[in-house]
Parts: sequence; C-alpha cells; structure tokens
Amino acid sequence: MALTITATVSKKVGKPNYGSEGFTLTVQSEVSNMDQVREESHRLYLLLNESVTQELEGSTDTPSKTGEWPKLVPATPTSRVWRASDKQRDLILKIIDENGVDRGDVESLSLEMFSTSNLQELNRLQASGLIDELLQRYGKKSTRGTTPSGRFNGRTTR
Amino acid sequence: MIALAEAQKESVGDILEEPVSASRINLFHSCRLKFYYRYVLKLIKPVNSALHVGKAVHYGLQEWSNRRWLGKPSGVEDIRESFLTHWKTSLDENPVEFLEGEEEAQRDKAWALVDMYLRETPIPMEEKPEAVEVSVEADLSEHGLPTLRGVIDLVRPGGVILDYKTAAASPNEDQVLHRNETQLTAYGLLYREATGEKESGFELHHLVKTKAPKLVVTRHKPVTDKQKSKLFRSIESYLGGVEREDWIPSPGLQCAACEFFNECRGGVL
Repeated sequence: MALTITATVSKKVGKPNYGSEGFTLTVQSEVSNMDQVREESHRLYLLLNESVTQELEGSTDTPSKTGEWPKLVPATPTSRVWRASDKQRDLILKIIDENGVDRGDVESLSLEMFSTSNLQELNRLQASGLIDELLQRYGKKSTRGTTPSGRFNGRTTR
Repeated sequence: MIALAEAQKESVGDILEEPVSASRINLFHSCRLKFYYRYVLKLIKPVNSALHVGKAVHYGLQEWSNRRWLGKPSGVEDIRESFLTHWKTSLDENPVEFLEGEEEAQRDKAWALVDMYLRETPIPMEEKPEAVEVSVEADLSEHGLPTLRGVIDLVRPGGVILDYKTAAASPNEDQVLHRNETQLTAYGLLYREATGEKESGFELHHLVKTKAPKLVVTRHKPVTDKQKSKLFRSIESYLGGVEREDWIPSPGLQCAACEFFNECRGGVL
C-alpha cells in the first residue's frame, strides 16, 4: 500500500519600508512502506527549502526576453535523489535498518568498491553490487551463484 | 518424474509475463521443444559432471574478482582454498553421480583451468572491477517488449563487459561474435540501462579444456543499432512462438548432448 507524504515549507522575509514577502510550497510524494518515510521526508524538505529560499532571494531563473520559463532540469546525483532504483534504495536502507548496521560502515564499503562513499551516487549496477555484498555480510544467504535459479533470487537492479 | 513435472507445469501466460534473458531466447530459437521441457514442464535433471566443472570454474573466477574488488587476499593459494571448499559444499547441495575416481579427476581438471587463468589473465591484479556477477534488468516496455534480464560476469573499468566461457576446443574467432551476439547485445543494453552510459566494448575469455588448458580472449565492439534491432526482432519472435505454443523440436547435432533426449524420443509433448 502506498503512503502519501505531504510536505510544506513556508517562509517569510522582511522587505524595505516594513514590508514582507512570503512563499509557501507544498508537494506530495508517495512511498511504498514506512521504512522510506524518514528518507523521503528529508529529501522533500531539502528540495522545498532550497526552492523557497531561492525564490525569496530572487536567485531563481526568471522569464527570458521571449517570455518563456526555462525548462526544468532533472535533479543531479549531488542532490538527495538516488541514482539507483527505488527498490534498490529501499533494500539498502532496509538492510542497514534491520541489521543495525552503521551507515558509516556501508559508506566505507561503497568507498572501497566504487571509490565513493555517497550512496546516492551509486548507479543501478553499483547498487546491485553493494546489495550483494551487504546481503553476504549482514543479510540472507548470498545471492551470488551460478545457477539460473540462484542468480536472480528475486532481486535485480530495478 | 514426468508426472511430477506436469503438476508444476507453468502456464504460457505466466511465461509471457516473465522477464526474458539471452539464454531463454537462445534456447527457444535453438530448440523449442527443449525450451518447453525446461521452462514450461520444468523437468529437472541431475547436474552432470561437465556442468559441475563449468560452475566450479566460474566460481573460482568470480571469487578471484570479488577478492580483488574488496581488497582481500587473492593469490593462487587463497583462490584454491576457496575453490576446494566450494567444490565440496556444492556437491553436498547438488550431488553429482561420478564414476569411480572421476570426481578427483574432474576437480583437478576444473582447478587446472582456474590456475591457468590466474597465470595468463590479461587483467592486472590491482585492477578494481566495476561489477562482479551482477544481475541487471532493462524495461523494454516502450518497445512493446517485456523486461530484459541478465547476469553479467564482470565489468572492467571503463565499461568493458566481460563474459567467461569454458569450451572443449579453441573457439573459431570468426564465429564467436555470431554465436554470442544475442547475449552480448542484451548485456550492452542492460549495462546502458543500469549506468546511463554506453559500454566501451566486450571481452570473451574462453578457457579451453585442452590437455594443456589455454586462454583465448576475443574482443568485440559496442552494440550497434542494427544489433539492437536484431535482438528486439528475436524477442518478438520468441514471444510469438510462446504465445502460439509452438514447441516444434529442431533435431540436429546438439541432440547428442541434450538432457531431454529420452523425453524427446518418447514424444512427451
């Protein structure tokens, strides 16, 4: 069952001559289980806070001379958005959560394997490799194998 | 055994909804009846010694890559120790009926291949893989096709996709690409989907089981649009055949090594 998260960030800033300007931004997002709520809430807050602040500071793009707004640019890997699939992100966080693994240890492992400790930067291929190793160390019996049935074991990069 | 298998028979509708892989596509196009026995009737055959050797060799190479990746000891003796342990545990899990003295001979033969590879591999010991034995999927729904799935043996830095092959004789280099085109094309598309980048090429490392084992490496270019199109047509053909329940056999030289030879001769259809 999907859970809906509604996030709102509202800010007001002072303006000359005792004036003020405020901006409220609200978005909704869905997650598939409770384990994802904290991560998604954090992501939404950062996104909204950054957007609201930029609007109020007047640093966002404004309509060009042709009157057209610039196109939306997808989030980059440096934001809170994961490059791995939602399923992979959920599984990594679940393994960390359920096994009481120190996130720092997982980030160190990621650094060893992929030369980055930022889990959000891992692409699907890398996330799959990390999940394999996490399962080997903390989770179920290894999914590594060479038989067709053992290879997939219900887990892939999507 | 056949009656048992009938009870577990999978519906064609279920198969059509499952992800496709290069091995499924290749099997279907090489012999539809064999596909039927394996994926529809789900007949299970005991692991034969040749298959066990192939898996053991694969394990040894995978262990070597994993150890290098994680900075663990990966010398020949370290790999040999893991290989021997795995040989025993995998036999406990999936027993193989060896002839008198055959197990030891097969084990030594398998290790000889791994040992040869560790000595002759072009991969530097200090090289870190991008991925080892990684399962990947690609959503092909925008092409009206099911999900594509595969397991890539090794991805070398820079996006070189590598697959290990064990063979009884040296490969004919002119035929290697032709015979492996479906698999390599699928792996290329899977890599692109998983990384957002184009593969830089492919390497097939053939471990040849000659008296003195040897390694033959063949290198292949990235997937072309033509190859991609061929793969999609091949998947369409596979889907059409499964939907029609076209289980017509393709008798030929390959029947000599087919595990379903007796069922085929007996006409279990």
